[in-house]
Amino acid sequence: MNNNSTNILDIKNIEVTYDDVILALHDVSLKVPKGKVVALLGANGAGKSTTLKAVSTMLASERGKVTKGSIDYDGSSIQKQNPSQMVGLGMVQVLEGRRCFGHLTVEENIISGAYSRKLSKGDIDQELEKIYSYFLRLKERRKSQAAFTSGGEQQMIAVARAMMAKPKMLLLDEPTMGLAPQLVAEIFNIVRELNQKEGVSILLAEQNTNIALKNSDYGYIIETGKVMLEGSAESLLNNDKVKELYLGISKKGRKNFRDVLKEESLNKRSN
Amino acid sequence: MIDELLFFMEVLVGGLLAGTMYSLVALGFVLIFKASATFNFSQGAMVFFSVLAFCGFMQDFNIPFVLAFILAALLMVIVGLCTERLVLRPLMNASEDTVLMATIGLGYVLEGLAQAAWGVEVRRLDLGIGDFPVPWIADNLKLFISALDITAGLVAAIMIIGLFLLFKYTKIGLGLRAVADDAGAASSIGIPLKHIMLLVWSAAGVVALVAGMMWGARAGVQFALVDLALKALPVLIIGGFSSIPGAIVGGLIIGATEKILEVYIGPFFGGAIEGWAPYVLAIFFLLYRPEGLFGEKIIRRV
Repeated sequence: MNNNSTNILDIKNIEVTYDDVILALHDVSLKVPKGKVVALLGANGAGKSTTLKAVSTMLASERGKVTKGSIDYDGSSIQKQNPSQMVGLGMVQVLEGRRCFGHLTVEENIISGAYSRKLSKGDIDQELEKIYSYFLRLKERRKSQAAFTSGGEQQMIAVARAMMAKPKMLLLDEPTMGLAPQLVAEIFNIVRELNQKEGVSILLAEQNTNIALKNSDYGYIIETGKVMLEGSAESLLNNDKVKELYLGISKKGRKNFRDVLKEESLNKRSN
Repeated sequence: MIDELLFFMEVLVGGLLAGTMYSLVALGFVLIFKASATFNFSQGAMVFFSVLAFCGFMQDFNIPFVLAFILAALLMVIVGLCTERLVLRPLMNASEDTVLMATIGLGYVLEGLAQAAWGVEVRRLDLGIGDFPVPWIADNLKLFISALDITAGLVAAIMIIGLFLLFKYTKIGLGLRAVADDAGAASSIGIPLKHIMLLVWSAAGVVALVAGMMWGARAGVQFALVDLALKALPVLIIGGFSSIPGAIVGGLIIGATEKILEVYIGPFFGGAIEGWAPYVLAIFFLLYRPEGLFGEKIIRRV
């Protein structure tokens, strides 16, 4: 037990298999320092969601398993935990696709996030007010049925609901999927604000490389279940290969890191 | 003319009240459908099991009525607990179809256990409420309405109000509604599915006990109760599988229409249309309003 370590999350060389046959992650290692925002970048199917679910232990409900490596959260292994225990330990995942409770009102959705905490009615109201101070839009719509709110509002509900569990760490899975640029910026502002004012550490899976890196401290790029590149957000933003492959400033038609590596090894051989 | 109208009223009220007996059975299905999106085929067996246990406690051990009821209710909570632990938890990540099949198996287990423990003969259950017209109503309103029907109506009303309050205003009720909407998202924010499952199976067990007592008092406590629970199917199709008010209204509609059709249209078919008329009604609902009257509409933003 090492609670003084500066990393709230430490993933070491994990391998994940679905249905005992499909290898989804080969060798992923990553660290999230306490109080920081770390971006996990990559295309569809790269293994971002799988990594997050391995951390929140929600893999089991999709017949996935961590078959190698270790995941330490807040100084201890998460191996034997289940999702509701992880929430109790302060680790909450905001699932891909928002997943609001459509038939519940906006406010009921948010309150449901406090399920794992033992709060009195007064405490809940107090917490609600605090949450609404970050999500002003939601306060106006508190009585609406969640299914009838907009995509951006649903994403806010999902994050607000997770914040109601008083997390030390949030796992955000593609929070900006399918949202207009303006809303993307709004969501990221809120995420950043939550990180700074509430001190929540954040691991963020995104395809939206540019804005994700601009709002993170550190980044990892994964492809086909492997970490290909890591570095501070700034260094990644200025990295030529990242620019080319993920920020759309492309030349030579190379599509991913594997192509780059192949090319480099070819060059070496010809030299 | 007045006599005809009175007769119609009598048929209608009798039908509505008999319908509440269907509602009671349907309620048990709704509870479990809400939480696990599965039609619980063992609900009929739960009705049989619980009421047979109740009779057993009362008649074989001479336990007084109230205590026997409490014991039987506790037994159903234990059944819920075992079901959650032994059937649902191992199947946590299995498909809904698998769970459906498991409930069929569970039904056989409960039927077998009930008969092994309490014997196979038909038992008479006397609740102290007669299945005959209440004299006061017969004298003053000229309607012949059974006291048992009225009791069933009252009991159903109390249970509905109780369940409604439970779901709308308690924490575990909020948890249940969250699980009903999206079980994965509910578990991602730390709502423990096993508590919710335990709650609904226990509640469904107690509802089964009450329904069984009403039906047992009318028709005797016997194996036929298992099949009778299938009468809840058209009720659910009409009311909506996931709606508690739907179960009630569906039951009332089935009760009233089957009696009215039997009395007024039945003779043209040679009678006994009560048995299948509800299913015809259900087919019309499936064609024109598949989510039922109160079923939660599948909300899609466009």
